[in-house]
Amino acid sequence: MRGLSRRRFLARGGSAAAGLAGITAGTAAASTGSALTTSDLATTAAEQRAMLFDSTLCVGCRSCEIACNKKNDLGRTTDEIHEGRPAQDARALAPNVYTYVTLHQWEGAPSTAAFGKVQCMHCIEPACVSSCPVSALHKTVEGPVVWDGSRCLGCRYCMMACPFVVPRFEWHSRNPRIRKCNMCADLLAEGKPPACVAACPTHALRAGTRAELLDEAHRRIADRPRRYVHQVYGEFEAGGTNFLHIAGQPFDELGYRRNLPLRSYRAYTRPAMAAIPFVLGGLSLALGAVRWVVDREANVTAAEKRDQDPAGQEETP
Amino acid sequence: MIRALVQRRLATPGMAALAVFALVGLGLIAWRFAAGLGAVTNLSDGYPWGFWIGMDILAGIALASGGFVMAGLVHLFGGHRFHPLARPAILTALLGYLLFILALAVDLGRPWNIWQALIHWNHVSPMFEVSWCVTFYTVVLMLEFAPTVFERLRWPTIRRLWAEATPFLIVAMLALFTLAMTASALWAAGIAVVLLGWEALMRSGVMRRDRQMPVLLIMAGILFSTMHQSSLGTLFLITDKLGPLFYSPILPLLFFLSALMVAPAMVIVEATLSARVRRQTVERRLLTDLGRAMPYLITVYLLARIGDILARGLVLEALQGTFVTAWWWLETALLLTALALFATPELGPRGRALLPASVAIVLALVVNRTGVAIVGLDVPEYARYVPAWPEVFITVGILCLGLIAFRLAVEFLPVYELRHTASNDVVPITSPTHRGLRTARTAETSGSIPLEVPHGA
Repeated sequence: MRGLSRRRFLARGGSAAAGLAGITAGTAAASTGSALTTSDLATTAAEQRAMLFDSTLCVGCRSCEIACNKKNDLGRTTDEIHEGRPAQDARALAPNVYTYVTLHQWEGAPSTAAFGKVQCMHCIEPACVSSCPVSALHKTVEGPVVWDGSRCLGCRYCMMACPFVVPRFEWHSRNPRIRKCNMCADLLAEGKPPACVAACPTHALRAGTRAELLDEAHRRIADRPRRYVHQVYGEFEAGGTNFLHIAGQPFDELGYRRNLPLRSYRAYTRPAMAAIPFVLGGLSLALGAVRWVVDREANVTAAEKRDQDPAGQEETP
Repeated sequence: MIRALVQRRLATPGMAALAVFALVGLGLIAWRFAAGLGAVTNLSDGYPWGFWIGMDILAGIALASGGFVMAGLVHLFGGHRFHPLARPAILTALLGYLLFILALAVDLGRPWNIWQALIHWNHVSPMFEVSWCVTFYTVVLMLEFAPTVFERLRWPTIRRLWAEATPFLIVAMLALFTLAMTASALWAAGIAVVLLGWEALMRSGVMRRDRQMPVLLIMAGILFSTMHQSSLGTLFLITDKLGPLFYSPILPLLFFLSALMVAPAMVIVEATLSARVRRQTVERRLLTDLGRAMPYLITVYLLARIGDILARGLVLEALQGTFVTAWWWLETALLLTALALFATPELGPRGRALLPASVAIVLALVVNRTGVAIVGLDVPEYARYVPAWPEVFITVGILCLGLIAFRLAVEFLPVYELRHTASNDVVPITSPTHRGLRTARTAETSGSIPLEVPHGA
């Protein structure tokens, strides 16, 4: 399965530029509206609030889940959080589960269990935000990606778009909501860290600006190069995220999606969206011109007919 | 009342069956709104889109493409003789879009917020483009179909007013649409200037003005349809749930080309079947001419589709023994079969295979769209999605509702009644069953309203 998804991405990444260039040559450069380039976004993101998860420090106590459950009033009991879950399932997010610690063990080495953390990655340029027709999902200036229920249509395009399979939908509700981690945007606004970070007893979770945390992550890897995989997950994945991860095992072994493209997902729809005004303008000109030519030809044919046969006034289409 | 319906062949067992299915569908829709989407669908957080997106929305919208293609052919590209086929095609498109909006309301989790898309503009979102295209093209279709209603109600003044005002409404709509899609007043002004330019040329007599059907209205239909058909493909560019055989970086182009391809086929299927139901002869010569265009349309789409597969090096992918691969081959086989039939005049265009070949094209399109929205999706972490029976029956119910509406519309509105004589004048058919009504209307249309402007005027 994983092999297939890798092939898919290679097939897509390699040809997307070439294929689209054929139709919309040069239009991407002329992209209108939002003028932020990727490097601009990265600069902005550097000062935004972010989180760092260090898998090597995590002991799997689930204090973060309990704190998240309490802060967001998700209604699960502590027992449920500790027991009622498939330990290996990295996709155990639910409308009432915003974050989840995954457990990974290797045969014959019971003491080498490692943990992964699943929740919204708060991408720098999120696929969900660029796909939401009404900007119900939007990225605040501070960094969190949050949902505004007063606008949401429930089209679930965010769920189709998110490469991390994070947004959840209340399938059995009459007034369903999109549910996901919002990085405790309200706490951040008060200058406090997110609930899960505050609750973590081993400092496996840290809060700060993205630049600070990125430096910290690289420093930890450089200081103890044999302890860590030499990758900060989220530094470049899907164009970069505000939730960074470092770990002692390869990330795909910890349930993280691997082989994600290193540019933001908006790049896949941007050329087609940028082509819109050119198609509209081109068609407006072309269709009018067609109409003109067609009518002139009809006129000429009719005139010739009249010249040849002045008695017959009938026209042929 | 019943007797009148029986006489008009409306109260038939077929119609009763349609009504039953429609009622079942409506009942299930009520259940869906009472108990939530999870109660009637097999959708999940891994597969949030399913049968409705594939059938009602992707396939449904593509099959409604006959509306803009026929309207453009007749009113822009000089195919006046196809006029008898244009009105039914526009009606199909209008009903298709109205039902599509109903289906969309069923699929959306919070449909009561649908109007928010007109207020909060996220011009980078393909879904935003789709929502605007649906809204605006439905308005355009209503305007295109309006003359049929005015004729039936005998409102010549309203019709003249419609013809005068529509172009300006269109300019406003397209300028607003451009503004929403680009967030650039410059682009919006540019589009408005171009359109107003054509209108000025027509009003000043430099170009011929069609007083029956404003040219700008037809242009708007083509513009919004082009955007809509392609934007449905754009939707899937961002998702990595879609496997390589049905994903493509040129999905918008493929969606547009296939919608163009299916338009004549759909018109042929509809005209043939509705003539059978109404026991009238079909305009075979026109359908034959439409069939002659099919080999070119199919070839263009096939070249793009296969070329894209080859360019991305997916030949081995297409040779695997999976269900997705089989689905892809089904689409290709249907296309090739139809191509062979249409390319042989004795079989396709002029022969008995015209209807089967057209049906094959319609099926190929449905296979493609369901391939993109259902079959081709693969989310390793989740159990594969298979539609639940209420999903299927809701779609069937909505389709039956559409068929009933179409049947009633062609009975009570002058949809199929325009026929061209050799002199290119539009003359209503005088059918023996409604002779009195028709004669009156003939007098009116030919007498009081100068509907047809002679060529070269």
